[in-house]
Amino acid sequence: MKEIDKLGEGLARGLARRNSRRGVLATIGGLITGGAMFPALPVARASSPPGGSGYDGVTPQSTGDPMDPGDPASCDYWRYCGIDGFLCSCCGGTASACPPGTEMSPITWIGTCANPADGVNYIISYNDCCGKPACGRCLCNRNEGERPMTRPQLNNDINWCLGTSTAAYTCSTAVIIGVALKEEGRG
Amino acid sequence: MRIVGVLLLLSTAAAAEEIPGVANVQRAKMNWMLSCQGCHQADATGSANGAPSMAGEVARFLTVEDGREYLIRVPGVANAGMSDEQLAELLNWTLETFDKEHLPADFTPFTAGEVASGRAQPLVSEAAVMRETLRGKFAGGKASGGGN
Repeated sequence: MKEIDKLGEGLARGLARRNSRRGVLATIGGLITGGAMFPALPVARASSPPGGSGYDGVTPQSTGDPMDPGDPASCDYWRYCGIDGFLCSCCGGTASACPPGTEMSPITWIGTCANPADGVNYIISYNDCCGKPACGRCLCNRNEGERPMTRPQLNNDINWCLGTSTAAYTCSTAVIIGVALKEEGRG
Repeated sequence: MRIVGVLLLLSTAAAAEEIPGVANVQRAKMNWMLSCQGCHQADATGSANGAPSMAGEVARFLTVEDGREYLIRVPGVANAGMSDEQLAELLNWTLETFDKEHLPADFTPFTAGEVASGRAQPLVSEAAVMRETLRGKFAGGKASGGGN
């Protein structure tokens, strides 16, 4: 028992000799402040709930072009006005390119979307990417301008993986192929 | 004076584009993109087991009996979501753009009236059979490339 007392006393006295009281307070303060900074570190951000699309591993993106505004990894992006599927931007591809290992369908459904930056209607081709299992991220189903099955060329519930070596649907792109005229003459 | 004006207008239009029966080339191209290109592809070559190829062949239908009527009544044309005027324009643009070499010298452009009466009787499942029959009548045999 005496030995334990001596050991405890020795440790306490040693600690007191080496550290000032202010130094202890400063250390404790530093630990508290440092601890509060942990969630701000990049590692902590990666594991926190994602923003934007709400899917794991998908962070907000930008085209970097003020004339092409919005987040291509978000369903709100202007080019997706008639899309129905998983956004390739969230699946290893981009809004106009397929993820590696998939094949872009040459057969597509085509519509128009208004670009909020210039108010112009662009002709958008919703090419599906095919050949891998369905991506499962960023499901986006806006269907603006979609027509019923009786007009199959304007219906997006069809699997458009046609003309490709496999009909397995992976995700959808939205490629700009032209500019639409202002005239409203289409029935 | 009025005639001069009309002539001037005509010559301006001709200088811009010279496709007979196509009032607005940009609009025709846009309609092609929106209503045709998705299946027939940008160069009209079509797709295997899908939309038939038209490139280098479509104007040959004008050289055989009932071919001109077929071009209006074929489902993709007859059911296209656009006015008779724009559909006639699109037909004329398509023939000129994708198969100019087979366009007969005496070709009269499609008009809205002709398109309206033709699309009133759209082909359904018989379209594929009719297409093959007509292609069999092409001078020198049917063109290569196909679809169904």
